[in-house]
Amino acid sequence: MTTSIADAPREHGAPGPAAPWVDTRVELGGLTLANPVMPASGCFGPELADLLPVETLGAVVTKTVFASARPGNATHRITEVPNGMLNSVGIPSRGVAEFRRSGLGGYAALDAPVVISIGGLSTQEYWRVAEELADTEHAAFEINVSCPNLERGGQTLDTDPRAMSEVVAGVVARSAKPVLVKLSPQLQTIGEAAKTAEDAGATAVTVCNSFPGMAVNPDRRTSELGNGMGGVSGPVVKPLALRLVWLAAQAAGIPVVGCGGIRAASDVAEFLLAGATAVQIGTANFAQPYVMAKVVEELPAMARRLGVDRISDLIGTLTIRAED
Amino acid sequence: MSSPATLGVLAGERPMPTWARTQVLVNRPLTDRYRLLRFRSATIAARAEAGQFVMLSPATESGPVLPRPMAIYTRDAGSGSVDIVYGVVGSGTKALAALEPGATVVVTGPLGRGFVVHEETGHVLLIGRGVGICAMTTVAQDLAGTGVRVSAVLSGRHESAIIGAEVFRGCHGDVRLATDADETSGVAVLRERLHRGFDGDPPQQILTSGSARLTRMSGELAARWHATVQVSIEAHMACGLGYCHGCAAGDGDGTHEAPLVCRDGPVFRLRG
Ligand SMILES: Cc1cc2nc3c(=O)[nH]c(=O)nc-3n(C[C@H](O)[C@H](O)[C@H](O)COP(=O)(O)OP(=O)(O)OC[C@H]3O[C@@H](n4cnc5c(N)ncnc54)[C@H](O)[C@@H]3O)c2cc1C
Ligand SMILES: Cc1cc2nc3c(=O)[nH]c(=O)nc-3n(C[C@H](O)[C@H](O)[C@H](O)COP(=O)(O)O)c2cc1C
Ligand code: FES
Repeated sequence: MTTSIADAPREHGAPGPAAPWVDTRVELGGLTLANPVMPASGCFGPELADLLPVETLGAVVTKTVFASARPGNATHRITEVPNGMLNSVGIPSRGVAEFRRSGLGGYAALDAPVVISIGGLSTQEYWRVAEELADTEHAAFEINVSCPNLERGGQTLDTDPRAMSEVVAGVVARSAKPVLVKLSPQLQTIGEAAKTAEDAGATAVTVCNSFPGMAVNPDRRTSELGNGMGGVSGPVVKPLALRLVWLAAQAAGIPVVGCGGIRAASDVAEFLLAGATAVQIGTANFAQPYVMAKVVEELPAMARRLGVDRISDLIGTLTIRAED
Repeated sequence: MSSPATLGVLAGERPMPTWARTQVLVNRPLTDRYRLLRFRSATIAARAEAGQFVMLSPATESGPVLPRPMAIYTRDAGSGSVDIVYGVVGSGTKALAALEPGATVVVTGPLGRGFVVHEETGHVLLIGRGVGICAMTTVAQDLAGTGVRVSAVLSGRHESAIIGAEVFRGCHGDVRLATDADETSGVAVLRERLHRGFDGDPPQQILTSGSARLTRMSGELAARWHATVQVSIEAHMACGLGYCHGCAAGDGDGTHEAPLVCRDGPVFRLRG
């Protein structure tokens, strides 16, 4: 199954004599994306269309949608940590029915393929969201398996391969579109988790969600966030995410979408070399609302610098350095 | 901060933000605790409505990861410049304080819903404390010369710590200071003084920012004078645009999220 979104490669920048254009397209498990750049779930909204040419992105990704309305976590939900941020937003959602009625349209109008991120507090909930959105205008689902699972005492789904398998297979069965599975940063078993997702029918895995963390205010003797704990993201997690992408790409036969601390075309190159087929940009959007368009614009020059005229030729070509 | 149950979302248009990579024109101390930073953005200066804010960060690789929300203190559509006034609190505002004129900043704005002065209003009372005053100076700017009377009560630790007095005076506002130093800033004393000052000629609208105590007092005064209250509040933010859901104005009602300060505020109607 191939959903072709880009009929022709996009041409960027001034064409050089040797490389008149750079082919920025990538094949992501049945999707052809015009380029590998998309936002990370929760770090993008149609509001950004005021500030950057969203139609130049490879795809857009919605905030995670739940079956029912939920308020999200206590405040404060956000703070800064050295070279990164910590959030405990807690994924507020207006529920799938409301998303279908009034949320999705804003994304669908953006003229870029829409990936809908779906969440659930139980297996049934994931399935329900997939079912209710199956016939809507979108390019793919991304299953956020890092949600606390009520059937497993609040553990995230991907700590339990059987449970994850069941959720993924059920969503795949309900969807005619590609299904990405977004993994949480399990430092030891990411390869197994990627393989589990693949075996359950996922067409790609996203690696990874934010890293569990905490910030403490010593003067007040309190946690900085209302929820106590949160997820760390931004530049500080880039080396951690790169390693996980590398491990997942080694283990799985399906494409990997890299995510964590990306904010420049050179970061994209690093993730592609480590084995990612596409990338997601989250935290960098906050300080630089135009960053994704800038990265897309810089991809051709980056590719030429690395000696390829097809971006996809970079994927997984990293060699582990031997002594010079 | 007021509890979200008491906050109503004001009617109004969605803001039309832009972003700019632009140069710092001025960055200097304004009082002993606050600094003034001026940058150029013709679009933000032209579009900014009273009470709106910007998200601001130094354009450096190693600087803060999150932009900082800052109220638009004054703006001049003629010269295309925008001023913010900030207190140095932690790492982000320290990084702002270190910027030399000529340094590049990234600014997104104008953002949020500002103060709304109703057509039938003839007299507005502004009650602000500390850096909260910065959210209200643009109200006085906009009302100057319109015939609407502006009274301002500015509260702070001591007189030289109070920002904005000269802006309000420059806009022909009637300015009264209340300081901790001369013990005129306590709610009981201030309330008495405002009763005496305004019972004979009360405002139709009270606008407030910077203090939960003064917000509560504003509610009481409004009940006495049959006035309405709008309050500008703060929340930790990441996007400033309404998509990250970092800035909820409280903990919600168990099912639904509280209003978002960046999108539904920062100025809210205080429900009586
Ligand atoms: C709409 C709005 C307008 C504002 N206008 C002004 C202004 O005109 N002048 C001014 O001095 N300050 C203003 N503030 C507060 C200002 O944003 C904070 O003082 C600043 O973010 C502190 O950053 P820091 O890194 O120095 O402090 P830290 O305490 O180190 O910050 C840690 C994290 O918490 C956040 N944070 C801490 N305190 C606040 C706060 N009070 N409000 C929001 N986020 C906070 C920071 O942004 C950062 O993400 C405004 C806040 C909002 C929401
Ligand atoms: C404010 C915020 C909200 C987020 N919300 C979601 C979400 O709803 N669903 C999800 O799968 N990931 C969510 N994430 C995680 C990001 O999508 C991303 O995986 C993570 O931030 C790492 O990428 P980055 O370093 O580029 O931000 C959120 C992250 C942040 C900072
Ligand atoms: S700061 Fe992102 S939603 Fe308000």
